[in-house]
Amino acid sequence: MVYFGNIKPIKGKVHIEKNRCKGCAFCVEYCPKDVLEMSEEFNVKGYHPPFVKDEDACVYCQLCESICPEFAIFVTIKEEEEEGEKGESRP
Amino acid sequence: MKKKTGVFVCHCGINIAGTVDVKKVAGDLAKHDGVDVSEDYVYMCSDPGQNMIIESIKENKLDNVVVACCSPTLHETTFRNAAKAAGINDFQCEIANIREQCSWVHKDMDKGTAKATKITKSAVEKVRQNEALEPISIPVTRRALVIGGGIAGIQAALDIANTGYEVILVERNPSIGGHMIQLSETFPTLDCSQCILSPKMVEVSKHPKIKLMTYSEVQEISGYVGNFNVKILQKPTYVDPDKCTLCDECTKVCPVVMTNEFDMGLTGRKAIYIPFPQAIPATYALDIRGCPGLVPIACGKCADVCEPEAIDYDMKAEIIEEEVGSIIVATGYDLYEKENLSEYGYGKYTDVLDGLQFERLCSASGPTQGKVLRPSDHKEPKEVVFIQCAGSRDPELHCAYCSKICCMYTAKHAMLYKHHVPDGQAYIFYIDIRSGGKGYEEFVQRAVEEDGVVYLRGKVAKVFEDKGKIKVWGVDTLAGKDIEIDADMVVLATAMRPSEGASELVKKLKIAMDKDGFLAEAHPKLRPVESVTSGMFLAGAAQAPKDIPEAVAQASGAAAKAISILSQERLFHSPMVAKVSLNLCTGCGMCVEVCPYDALSLKDGKVEVNEVLCEGCGTCQATCLRAAINVKNTTPSQVHEMIRASLGG
Repeated sequence: MVYFGNIKPIKGKVHIEKNRCKGCAFCVEYCPKDVLEMSEEFNVKGYHPPFVKDEDACVYCQLCESICPEFAIFVTIKEEEEEGEKGESRP
Repeated sequence: MKKKTGVFVCHCGINIAGTVDVKKVAGDLAKHDGVDVSEDYVYMCSDPGQNMIIESIKENKLDNVVVACCSPTLHETTFRNAAKAAGINDFQCEIANIREQCSWVHKDMDKGTAKATKITKSAVEKVRQNEALEPISIPVTRRALVIGGGIAGIQAALDIANTGYEVILVERNPSIGGHMIQLSETFPTLDCSQCILSPKMVEVSKHPKIKLMTYSEVQEISGYVGNFNVKILQKPTYVDPDKCTLCDECTKVCPVVMTNEFDMGLTGRKAIYIPFPQAIPATYALDIRGCPGLVPIACGKCADVCEPEAIDYDMKAEIIEEEVGSIIVATGYDLYEKENLSEYGYGKYTDVLDGLQFERLCSASGPTQGKVLRPSDHKEPKEVVFIQCAGSRDPELHCAYCSKICCMYTAKHAMLYKHHVPDGQAYIFYIDIRSGGKGYEEFVQRAVEEDGVVYLRGKVAKVFEDKGKIKVWGVDTLAGKDIEIDADMVVLATAMRPSEGASELVKKLKIAMDKDGFLAEAHPKLRPVESVTSGMFLAGAAQAPKDIPEAVAQASGAAAKAISILSQERLFHSPMVAKVSLNLCTGCGMCVEVCPYDALSLKDGKVEVNEVLCEGCGTCQATCLRAAINVKNTTPSQVHEMIRASLGG
């Protein structure tokens, strides 16, 4: 619990381009916070894309983004979006 | 030639003579077979008493001496030295304890006298078979180890290092400083804690004789006084302190926010962090409990921005072996667990704080830059209730002991609060005010008189939240009234308990703990800084709750004790150790298993004794089925004769 100071937890928002996914599950396997899980649904290519199971756990480490071979997943910082600055917040 | 034995029976004033007819004991012993001289004297330990023994040994050409007196823990050395002065070996002198084991525990004169006679006769039988022994001499490793880098450990390390001996200072956290560096001001002078501690910390870091090992823990200790072998686990910080320039870029990009232990959870910190600005050593550390992963791909943001390339994810824990001659344990204290104090809403309401959290709030370097604000809404609290003995002096539910420092720091807290919020009101619930110490009582009076702190004698029954206020229900036993206070903040003077992990360390060091888990001293009055294991000393709140001046004093005491070992060329060990009869030993190894000091080992199918490690406890002797291993001067034949004499035979 943090009560004082400027250091607040960074929360990430995970975006998944379902139709780019080829279901390799790297993101699910390597997410250090277990944010993702494979879904039952099919995408246009006939693969199972992942879905965000626990978004609160995401700390914006961007590992999924780095590891995805298909550029099908990326993360933005949540707080800034909530403050109304929609769009890309990546560095 | 038949050995000549002398017996000397002490009256010890009426301590012995009150329940034992000392003259009769001496008379009976004179008739005992093998006793040539038997005398009594009012105080055998006095100079005339000792001279009587010395003269008698010389005059009667005695081979052995038995002194029937108090416990050997008290005067064995006195009388053995007297025997030595008279020209016989120290181990030809035995003590028959007829005070603690006889006169003090009996009332009947006749029975007491009979028992004292038997005890003395049994000692005579033992001493007749004693062999002359010489102490075992061992070399000394002239370095010291200090465990714990709080104020006590820092003081002890500096004291030893300043006499010229090398010191290894081991601290579990990434920086030294302990709890004292967290405090705002110190009682009774109200000087800033960081300001008086940080010069000492800097001195430690710059001292050529001190090897500072932070983020390290003692893993294993073997050896004995003068020659300890220590294995120290140095945990990886993943930051090279030599390369780190303290630019703070890493914390800006680190995505992981964790609880800041230094601010007692009132603020957050990143997974890569420096504990506080004056940290010694001045470097960052990466807390792997929060870091998403040490594989660079799993985040790696801090390494990306680190220009001097100080971050090394491949850093591994290292085990470093060191040889030291003496050890000082200064592991300090922790606060009593939050979970145990739910009756005061601690851990449940954000505005119920513990003493250390309030220290951080008052501290100029704290989360609020020294403004006293409520954690919940960042407003200035106008009514603050301080509750003393939160967890202390409560044998039914919590700790039975008094945490000693709480009366004083609560008075200080109330005073500091009034200095920060002059229009606020401080209430203190207390059981008793214990303000023994130089300037302490005056300090408490100042809190009452100058700062208008209201002291209420009584306990708090309930603390609960009600319409944004924290309601405190208590009782004022002096006025006989129930009290209800709508407080903005509640501060608990939480009990002190031994620091986490102290019990595991105790097992590694083979020292003792008291019933509350604090480290046990060898004697509560006369050996307050020594542990039960020789060569290991205690300092600070690890031994018992104590304030800064006491911790510093004890640390200097422990340092002096450690130096008294390091300053010697060689140490001497009691020669009453186990001895193996090689022709009887079958090499079954049972004694090796039971030896509590790891002094025995098997070599070429027989048991070998490490005489330096052996403490002569006799466990091996009791275990051996063939009487092949015996402690010198406590052989089976001696024990049989002693039993025979005790039974009146």
